[in-house]
Amino acid sequence: MNLELSETQTLLQRTVRDFLREEVPFERVRSCERENQWDAALWNAIAEQGWLGIAFSENLGGAGGSFVDLGLWVEEFAQRAAIVPVLEVSTCGRILQDFADAEESRRWIEPILAGLALPVPAILESDDDFESIRAEVVDGVLTGAKTYVDYAQFATHHLVAARSPEGIGLWLVDARNAGVQVEPLRSIGRTPVGSVRYAGVPAQAVGDHSAYRALLRMARALAAVQCLGSMQTALNQTTAYAKLRKQFGKPIGSFQAVRHHCANMAIRIESVRGLCYSALSSLDSPQPSDERIDSAKASASLAAPEVTMLAHQIHGGNGVIEENDLYFFTLRAKERSLAWGSSVECLDNIAQGVAAPTDWL
Amino acid sequence: MDFEWDAEHIAFRDELRAFIGEWRTPELLAEYAATYGGSGARIRKFHDAIGERGWMTLCWPVESGGQGKSMLYNFIFIEEMEYWGMPYGNLTFTSVAPALNAFGSEAQKKEWLPKIYSGELTFALGYSEPNAGTDLASLRTRADRDGDHWVINGQKIWTSLADVSTHLWLAVRTNPDAAKHAGISIIVVPTDTPGVTIRPLHTMYGGHTNETFYDDVRVPIENCVGGIDQGWAIVMHALNHERVALAATGGLARIYDQLVDHLRTHRPERLANPVVRLRLAELKLELHEHRALALRNAWILAQGGTPIVEASMAKISATELRTQLANAAMDLLGRDGGLSAESAERAPFAGKAEFNFRLSPIFRFGGGTNEIQRDIIAAAGLGLPR
Ligand SMILES: Cc1cc2nc3c(=O)[nH]c(=O)nc-3n(C[C@H](O)[C@H](O)[C@H](O)COP(=O)(O)OP(=O)(O)OC[C@H]3O[C@@H](n4cnc5c(N)ncnc54)[C@H](O)[C@@H]3O)c2cc1C
Repeated sequence: MNLELSETQTLLQRTVRDFLREEVPFERVRSCERENQWDAALWNAIAEQGWLGIAFSENLGGAGGSFVDLGLWVEEFAQRAAIVPVLEVSTCGRILQDFADAEESRRWIEPILAGLALPVPAILESDDDFESIRAEVVDGVLTGAKTYVDYAQFATHHLVAARSPEGIGLWLVDARNAGVQVEPLRSIGRTPVGSVRYAGVPAQAVGDHSAYRALLRMARALAAVQCLGSMQTALNQTTAYAKLRKQFGKPIGSFQAVRHHCANMAIRIESVRGLCYSALSSLDSPQPSDERIDSAKASASLAAPEVTMLAHQIHGGNGVIEENDLYFFTLRAKERSLAWGSSVECLDNIAQGVAAPTDWL
Repeated sequence: MDFEWDAEHIAFRDELRAFIGEWRTPELLAEYAATYGGSGARIRKFHDAIGERGWMTLCWPVESGGQGKSMLYNFIFIEEMEYWGMPYGNLTFTSVAPALNAFGSEAQKKEWLPKIYSGELTFALGYSEPNAGTDLASLRTRADRDGDHWVINGQKIWTSLADVSTHLWLAVRTNPDAAKHAGISIIVVPTDTPGVTIRPLHTMYGGHTNETFYDDVRVPIENCVGGIDQGWAIVMHALNHERVALAATGGLARIYDQLVDHLRTHRPERLANPVVRLRLAELKLELHEHRALALRNAWILAQGGTPIVEASMAKISATELRTQLANAAMDLLGRDGGLSAESAERAPFAGKAEFNFRLSPIFRFGGGTNEIQRDIIAAAGLGLPR
């Protein structure tokens, strides 16, 4: 065991943080939101930094990093509210690397690392349930409809959960195929998302049900990390504000009620952080723990609105105007709390296992 | 003790429901949604209809032209209107009119009240300033006497609806030498007076409020309400009235009902899930708990009392529950619940869940922040030392 970040991890964190602070002024986030766009220029800059390979194996040109490394990286993007598909492309890439044969992997990972290929997962259907998948692949051709496909309109490929005679598996389709139709949706997170129709589109098999489970685990743990990143910035902005804003001749951060709110936010964030990185470290182990992943996501999802609403409470009127950056984090955190399994879904999973003995200590 | 409504109360409620059933058109609701608490042609017609039935002045004394009913009727009225999401009033009716009634001169009442009820006069409330929020009494916008005029200089913020109102209800400093609560007056300023500048502030819930600037704004001396330097009591009176409307259960119960209704018709399998049922049961319990506080408030008002601690309790509970309901609605609907009105075709109840979430912060710090309400409960209710 070692609860410290390694020197390389701390360096990664700091480098990415400084880079994003420089590269992503909040004005740019605001204009992406307004125009329903993603930050394509940032994606190119990330590719140039060589960061897209963070969690890919070295023999494919990646950095050979762990899921903890990937989580640290994803968290930085969430802390800056950057509108880029870091979770989506990384999870798809990892599935392609881990489940496709070596030759295929190489073919797919190279353009991902160069920032040219953007595969995104396409899983949920109209009833918003990870287990009821009706999209179907017959003789290598996909037919069906997906919804809540993040960055669907900007992706080059969709990694689609679909049924075939062998059961539910993952299939890769070219998003530019004429049979793929994306209809953008507007949701609370203000990041691009859409519904997609696949009308007889050629699909390449990537993995079976175990690949599908692996994708859900990775994405769930990383979505929890995204909630965490949003909460962390909300807290940072709040403590900074509480030091500056004065009422009754004193900084509001000197009032006990405000101090306790801040302390409660910090407590929530600290425990969510522990659960998130414990979940990621379980992904790095030979036996990923669903309970740890579900706990991280349930905890992050429940904490996100509590923490961001306390941030608003302390900001008062100044926190609700669009000129203030706080709302990015409130809205993103809530959206991410719903994505890849809401608190209800994750608690339900935990509930299924409550009768089994738990190894607490 | 008896918690049951009297037959007359129930009859009044039924009458209200029938009336609302007649007036509740999609067009009226759309106008209400688009104006964020402002007014429009349909809303004004609806107000006329309420006025014709005497419901605007239901609980006023008969000698002031009211019907002299118990405040419980006002409670029933607000709760029904809130439940059905009707634009039954705005701060001009619920805050300015009662304050004018209580503090205005006979001449002011005669000139302004009828125009308020006809919709000719609409007010924006100018209390808050950039550096005077919770510490409102430190406000610095000043009015100096120049013969028979006031000359106003300064800046307000969060002056909601100033851009669509005919008048401003301004709290200003008229005596810089007095203690901070003692030198404040209320002055009525027509919005089109030279020197008034209004700039919008766009918000995360989609509507806007305003910053307002005052640069040698001149209004007649008679526009001061309730006496020079007597403004603080008026501000407190108005905020108490604002709190009553903030504490209604109706709007909250409606979010809950819409959620359950949607699950029943679109997602019956979710309603069968124990995690979902527990979350709903907890919300339902909290609604009952809140209703108990709101009812207590209404009862004290109906007895002619002024709820202080009780009003603070109900304000906290309503505003915190509002966030929780919107939040839980999204959790129980999954990513559908996060959809906005722009994706109305798919969004459950037209994106109201995520809209309410974005809107909900303002109620917890508006109308006196919840931290200050808790201080009031601790000090005035529990006798704890300052
Ligand atoms: C959309 C919107 C519409 C509004 N409409 C109007 C309007 O029409 N007219 C109008 O006049 N105003 C309006 N307001 C202003 C509103 O009333 C204020 O936001 C509110 O009074 C809080 O003030 P503040 O925002 O300056 O917060 P602050 O006073 O800066 O408070 C920030 C935080 O510090 C805490 N705090 C401050 N002092 C203490 C203390 N002594 N002890 C413990 N905690 C403390 C507060 O509780 C809060 O959590 C509106 C605001 C908004 C956002």
